[in-house]
Amino acid sequence: MPLHVSTVVVPIDFSVASNGAIETALEIVDSPSQIHLIHVMLPLETMSPGVLLGDITDVSRTEKVTTALKDLADDHDADGAHIAVMIGTPGLEIADYAKRHKADLILIPSHGYHGMKRLFLGSVAERVLRHAPCRVLVLRRTDNQ
Amino acid sequence: MSSNSLKSILFFSCLILVTGLNLTALAQAQDSGETVVNQSDISENEEPATRSLSESIDAQFGFIVESMATVLFWVPVQAVPIPLIVLILFCGSLFFTIYHNWLNIRGFKHAVDITRGRYDNPNDPGEISHFQALTSALSATVGLGNIAGVAVAIHAGGPGAVIWMMLIGLLGMTAKFNECTLAMVYRKVRPDGTVDGGPMHYLEIGLQERGFSFPVAKAFGLVFALFCIGGSFGGGNMFQANQATSAVRGMLGEAAGINWVFGCVLAFLVGLVIIGGIKRIGQVTEKIIPLMCGIYVLAGLVILVIHIKQVPDAAVLIVRSCVSPEAAYGGFIGVLVQGIRRAVFSNEAGVGSAAIAHAAAKTDEPVREGLVAMLGPFIDTVVICTMTALVVIVSGAYNTPEAGQGVEMTRWAFSETLSWFPTVLNISVFLFAYSTMISWSYYGEKAWQYIFGTTRTAIIVYRFIFLGFIILGAVASLDNVIEFSDLMILSMAFPNIIGGIILAPRVKALLKDYWRRYKDNEFTVYD
Repeated sequence: MPLHVSTVVVPIDFSVASNGAIETALEIVDSPSQIHLIHVMLPLETMSPGVLLGDITDVSRTEKVTTALKDLADDHDADGAHIAVMIGTPGLEIADYAKRHKADLILIPSHGYHGMKRLFLGSVAERVLRHAPCRVLVLRRTDNQ
Repeated sequence: MSSNSLKSILFFSCLILVTGLNLTALAQAQDSGETVVNQSDISENEEPATRSLSESIDAQFGFIVESMATVLFWVPVQAVPIPLIVLILFCGSLFFTIYHNWLNIRGFKHAVDITRGRYDNPNDPGEISHFQALTSALSATVGLGNIAGVAVAIHAGGPGAVIWMMLIGLLGMTAKFNECTLAMVYRKVRPDGTVDGGPMHYLEIGLQERGFSFPVAKAFGLVFALFCIGGSFGGGNMFQANQATSAVRGMLGEAAGINWVFGCVLAFLVGLVIIGGIKRIGQVTEKIIPLMCGIYVLAGLVILVIHIKQVPDAAVLIVRSCVSPEAAYGGFIGVLVQGIRRAVFSNEAGVGSAAIAHAAAKTDEPVREGLVAMLGPFIDTVVICTMTALVVIVSGAYNTPEAGQGVEMTRWAFSETLSWFPTVLNISVFLFAYSTMISWSYYGEKAWQYIFGTTRTAIIVYRFIFLGFIILGAVASLDNVIEFSDLMILSMAFPNIIGGIILAPRVKALLKDYWRRYKDNEFTVYD
């Protein structure tokens, strides 16, 4: 059954699998402007050396990630894709973003681990599946990274 | 400040206040002999009813510590009573020093140049400069280990223990180089510019690269992370809280429930930063620490200059006690073990904790940060600990029973010459303790995240447990706190040194390449 969607949320963790997710999203949508590339940063630890002694702030982090997301969109000829950076628990923030933007689909890569690695590493994709307000397409990773 | 931060602070303040007030009331009630337990339940053989809540908790804590010590401080050869972990630390540090061809000596000048910022490229990946990374690591190590730990070593091992502290400080420099270089090699630089690194990461990834299976490599990382969490509750927390409380008692005098009250105040102040998110307090503290270090060292030098005639005698006493130690201190082995334990507790070389902070350095040359890290044990142990030791010895505090032990002995030693200094020392102790707790809460949280993930719930649970241990540290006895802290911090060296030795060939190859480029003047100088 073909997918007809107007808004696709693609969470980006800057892994190799993220590239595949953008490519897949571009195959599904009519225009890159229907794609939302989002990245969720973990809350800044106020006792980390970068905060206490360096110049790491939420503003500086957001700027860096926004630039990185724009570069990624350019690399994939996805000019016009929406870009968003959030802070919080990745699975929950992704689901919440999809809800706010009335997304039809969340397209997320999974790590594809088995056994011990799966047990220890857990999955953002699993949390998105539990909380998503829309359909979720989980892409199996092939690089096993 | 966000509304979430305000809510957290409000909730947290109420929790600490209510808990603290209840516990204080209970402690006071028991201290004054009021009935808290049913008198009929107390048999003749049981502890008297006047035993305070603090003492009860301490006794139970002591039992747990004793049980753990029998396993973790196992002595492999009974005829030579050296705990296995102390043996590993000593042999490991010696191995790294010989394997890296005495880098602690030949790389010293270059390490100083790097720290001065000669090679700092602001565009390199990372969070902080080389100097800031060293400051950050030192804020976790310089502190009560140098003030109280040295006094503990001399109290338990005699003046000769100082020689072993210095020796392990010198050898530990290369152990620190090895672990911090590895932390840089295997760190993860996130797209937001923050960095995640430390032994749990290099053990897991590095050991797999050396042919170990994932479960084995992961087990190394997990064991390290578990002990690191324990270390963050022990040496990085309880020991600090305990000695800071002792300093406050020194200023305000003994009062019923003061330990509880101060423990709660300390937990609240740490909570303001780690839960409340008020980074300004942490930033100010981190900047005051070098100043306090300077004041401490200056005061120590003044005392040594005043007692200059006694310094040679003190040096002779230290050397003589090292080679022919008194039986009272457990003989030669007893002195050696005390010296190594207290030195490692102070400079954390081979323990792997500082590698978490050094991993944040702004550089694309792992060896360069390793060289900077090497200065840590030198400043911490060879300079500051030795100075404290000389002051304790020339003042006669080490063989004066009324001088007390731990930080009390050091305070007594300083006050013998500089009567006003105890107040400054007490403030220093508080600030050192505070900054160490904040730094260690970061180390512990990184280890906690490695095991339990980065969810908000997981992180907040760790932070509250951390605060709980501050209160526990304030009320427990010094002996139990030191034993627990040693157990946890020294045990981190089990996976870290063994893994570090397995991964040392990688470091050696990197060092060889770096040193060749350094000698060929291939590096850009920025000053």
